[in-house]
Amino acid sequence: MKKIKKNRGIVELKSRYGYLFTLHWIIGIVVFFAVPLIQSIIFAFSEIEIISGGIDIKLVGFANFKQILLEDPNYEKWLSSSATSYLYSLPLIILLSMTLALILNQKFRGRLFFRALYFLPVIISTGAVMNLIFKTTGSDMSGMGVSDAYSANMISVDDIVKLLDIQGEVATYITATISKIFDLVWSCGIQIVLFLAGLQSVPQSFFEASRVEGATKWEEFWFITFPMLSRVTLLVTVFTMVELITSERTTLIRNVYTMMRTGNYDETSAMMWFYFLVCGAVMGLVIFLYNRILMKRWE
Amino acid sequence: MKNIINAFSSFGDRNGQLIKKKSVGILYSIFRLVILLSIGFIIIYPLIYTIITSLQSKYAFLNSTRIWIPTEFAIVENYKAALDAMEYVKSFWSTFKNELLSAGIEVASCAIVAYGLARFDFKLKKVYTAILFLTILVPDMMIIIPRMLNYSHLDLFGILGLIDKLIGVDLRPDILDTAWAFWLPSLFGVGLKSGILIYIYIQFFKGLPQELEEAAWVDGAGPFKTFLAIALPSSGVVILTVTVFSMIWHWNDSLLSGMYLTDNFPLARQVSRLPETLGSKYHIILNSARDPQGIGYLMAGCVLFIVPMLIMYMILQRWFIESIDRVGITG
Repeated sequence: MKKIKKNRGIVELKSRYGYLFTLHWIIGIVVFFAVPLIQSIIFAFSEIEIISGGIDIKLVGFANFKQILLEDPNYEKWLSSSATSYLYSLPLIILLSMTLALILNQKFRGRLFFRALYFLPVIISTGAVMNLIFKTTGSDMSGMGVSDAYSANMISVDDIVKLLDIQGEVATYITATISKIFDLVWSCGIQIVLFLAGLQSVPQSFFEASRVEGATKWEEFWFITFPMLSRVTLLVTVFTMVELITSERTTLIRNVYTMMRTGNYDETSAMMWFYFLVCGAVMGLVIFLYNRILMKRWE
Repeated sequence: MKNIINAFSSFGDRNGQLIKKKSVGILYSIFRLVILLSIGFIIIYPLIYTIITSLQSKYAFLNSTRIWIPTEFAIVENYKAALDAMEYVKSFWSTFKNELLSAGIEVASCAIVAYGLARFDFKLKKVYTAILFLTILVPDMMIIIPRMLNYSHLDLFGILGLIDKLIGVDLRPDILDTAWAFWLPSLFGVGLKSGILIYIYIQFFKGLPQELEEAAWVDGAGPFKTFLAIALPSSGVVILTVTVFSMIWHWNDSLLSGMYLTDNFPLARQVSRLPETLGSKYHIILNSARDPQGIGYLMAGCVLFIVPMLIMYMILQRWFIESIDRVGITG
């Protein structure tokens, strides 16, 4: 009897310590996260005037959304261009980073050097400086040249596409991909890190067993590595999606940010919320399909 | 003699297979090296380009025979212009005070939160975890304006506002344009990308063996003492990882600083508005950033911005890369 009471005491104590350790965080969540989040919802549904010493909020219902969706000529353009680049970068980034992580996980000479090199984008890529570098080097990367003078000397992607006689949508896709290859590779930094960490956690005994059974490398990858990476892949997918959505290089974010700085709070809130809901829906769909189709097959 | 005969008789099949296997292996390593080098080139190319461009004068751009090796140097001119335009020393101090310090605060406060979420069971834990994921998903852009407006009259649960209404003394501080705008969220564990940092910490703490901590409990150490004396000393690896991430993100942040501050900007903001500053200061058009006169200045500014982080990375990379293998971020 006494013992049970004591045990319950410890459980209760431990749970109290749990609240204690997270107390400052919850205060922070309320003050710096929840309240601003609710306020920004209110902003999206109201008209805002900046007056001395604060702002004047007047609820107007869905007027802002009507304004941005039906009347604003730019918003739809921004939205569709962001959505395309998002849907199309995502699979490429995941594929690329997974391949690179698989290669970097092998044992060969110079591995440490290449790892250090491949993590370099982590240091720089999120930064404002990349915008500048990409503005100067990235815009005409299809020719790999920095200015027209250099690219004239090299074979451009268009030539290759023409040479191979590829037409239509596929050709556009290939051209666009190659011209964006810098952008893509530079977005892979953290994803490679995450995949590598995941690969390290696959138990070696699995591979030994499969080798005894006489599995080929391909089967090893397909039946051991890939299923073991499924959780990491989901994490990487979500992380990449968030990064792509919030990246300052997205057309929409850049324009909204400029509008925000001029004091247009109500419309930009509506814009952000609509964008976030669309992206959130896509994200939810991807996670759902992933769990439904892929995870089920492996279990 | 017998050995030789054996060797000859088996030469046909076994050695043939061996040679085949070996040559496939060699071919594969060549293929791997080519892939690694070509993608490595993609990574290093913008950096080399930036550095080379930052060394050159505008005449170099007119010389079309020059591709890699710089010919017309204007190092002093370029870097001096960039240093002046960015107000480098002042901005560096501002970066240190606003961004790097709050990164340090964030690393500490996130560790406490994560320890609480990883080690103790309590009723609302699931709710807390859901909130944590929400903070990771919601972009900063969504909440930055209300946050900024609240900062001009900072209030805690409306208490100070109530006092204002009751006795007419406005105690609400205006922390916009001060370092507190950066420190406070970090102090409460809701700073820049804190959600991801907490998540990394949680994954690590869950993997730590509990026996030591339980022994400390039995010996009468309180939870905070256990945390400080047992858990923290054995998590150097994860602290390094989190610190590097947090410092990089803070160093590169131009969004928040652009909103909270009106002058004394940190380096990231200075770099992102460098085209405008240069334009107004030296009367050059940098619209496409391809004006030969300004591009040297601009790239010098970029180099000056990257270099501190690059140095840090070079010093830490050995530990950082090894630590990533061991942290087990992905659980």
